[in-house]
Amino acid sequence: MRAGARVVVERGRDGRSAVRELRSQPPLALLPQRGVAAARSPVATVHVVGSASSPLGGDEVSLDVEVGPGAELVLTGVAATLALPGQAGGPSRTTIRLRVADGAGLQYLPEPTVVTTRADHHAELHAELGAGSRLRCREVLVAGRGGEPSGQYRGLVRVQDGSRPLLVQQQELGDPRLQRSAAHLAGRRVLAGEVLVWGDDPPTAVAGDWWSLVPLAGRGSLATAVGSDAIAAQRALADAVAAHPGWSEAVLGSQAVVR
Amino acid sequence: MLPEPARSAVSVAHRRGDSNGQPIPAITPSLAALTLADARFPGGGHVHSGGVEEAVARGLVTGVADLASFLHGRLRTAGLVAAAFAAAATVTSAPFALLDAELDARTPSTAQRDASRAQGRAALRAARAAWPSPVLDALVAATSRPHHPLLVGAVIGIDGGSPAAAAHCAAYLAVSGPASAAVRLLGLDPFAVNAAVVALRPVLDAVVAEAAEPCPPELLPAPGAPVLDLMAQAHVRQHQEQVRLFVS
Repeated sequence: MRAGARVVVERGRDGRSAVRELRSQPPLALLPQRGVAAARSPVATVHVVGSASSPLGGDEVSLDVEVGPGAELVLTGVAATLALPGQAGGPSRTTIRLRVADGAGLQYLPEPTVVTTRADHHAELHAELGAGSRLRCREVLVAGRGGEPSGQYRGLVRVQDGSRPLLVQQQELGDPRLQRSAAHLAGRRVLAGEVLVWGDDPPTAVAGDWWSLVPLAGRGSLATAVGSDAIAAQRALADAVAAHPGWSEAVLGSQAVVR
Repeated sequence: MLPEPARSAVSVAHRRGDSNGQPIPAITPSLAALTLADARFPGGGHVHSGGVEEAVARGLVTGVADLASFLHGRLRTAGLVAAAFAAAATVTSAPFALLDAELDARTPSTAQRDASRAQGRAALRAARAAWPSPVLDALVAATSRPHHPLLVGAVIGIDGGSPAAAAHCAAYLAVSGPASAAVRLLGLDPFAVNAAVVALRPVLDAVVAEAAEPCPPELLPAPGAPVLDLMAQAHVRQHQEQVRLFVS
């Protein structure tokens, strides 16, 4: 299956962000939040819903997101993504491109990706940030369903601030020797990360036992947590995110953000 | 401009680094590579454990088998990044500022960035005395506290060494220092630890092959080492509160 979904959000004259373009294609359905509350909110909210079982081996799925100058978008997942092997064979690929224009804000908060045992999944996420823009971008990877070994996973995240790279990171799952290593996952099954380019970064790194929040060399911070299950890892990730001064201030100062 | 999917770092990484199980022919060592990899080189490497001290404190590394597993993971992640950037820095008129920014972006942990720059800075003093060259001036012009892999690559390049020789040196340093730290921290048998390092040969060869492949800076490998990064931060916290033997 080859499919591409796309959403474009722009800031209107009334200061509210509105969806200007929306293209869904199975397996990705994009559902904008409607209703009275949504109409009053200055922030546009769109849910990403899986409308077919995907990614299966052989699938190539892309999602393009554009947030225009000064606009705000919250893009959330509704259910976990299960990477599965396909009948056609070959890896599945997901490519996500996030373009956040000057002064715009984007929260991309998908649910966990579970790499099932015979899957071979490749994922790329490229974010391009304009001047003064904000980004919150989450990734939770689960190495196999409960009790099964992980399938193959290779992922790349690249966050670019103008011409400067803020974060370039590949993750690999599926090799037990690597996952067992105390340098990699130390036998944990779940890896959770969140990029926060959202106001003030912590002056120095903050760390708990199995999480950390580190200011990146450019702007922005990276929250990382590992855990033996998705609940534990996401709880640790929430602790790391809560330690971010810029994000905490945004949460306290506005109702319009998603915790 | 986004890189074309076919040229993306993921697919590049997927394509490279396969030594088919055959040991690759030995790399011609340069004098610079031997000097930099020598524990007696006055570059301050002995104060860094590369995460071993914290792993030992957490009980994640207790013996030679755990250490071998730790080194395996370290070599394929932090070691591969260091090796690729060392290889890229050997090239004539290497774009040091660009490499510095790309390496920063691949080193999210503040503690790891500090450790890399502290080692680079310390080695720079020794390198300037031994290999005076406009290449080192260009490196310092780009960044006054160079990342250690860039310094290693620049020096080996000045000495006429190949990208593979620089990758080999950086990858070896990614495991040799931590291995020697583990001997001191746990009182392990030095012969067994030395054998565990040498047993990494096939992994080292694959890492060097992948690292030495010419590649634009933005597509250089970027494998993450999540627990290594977490431990680096926790180590700094512990280092400030308790007595620790190593800086990192």
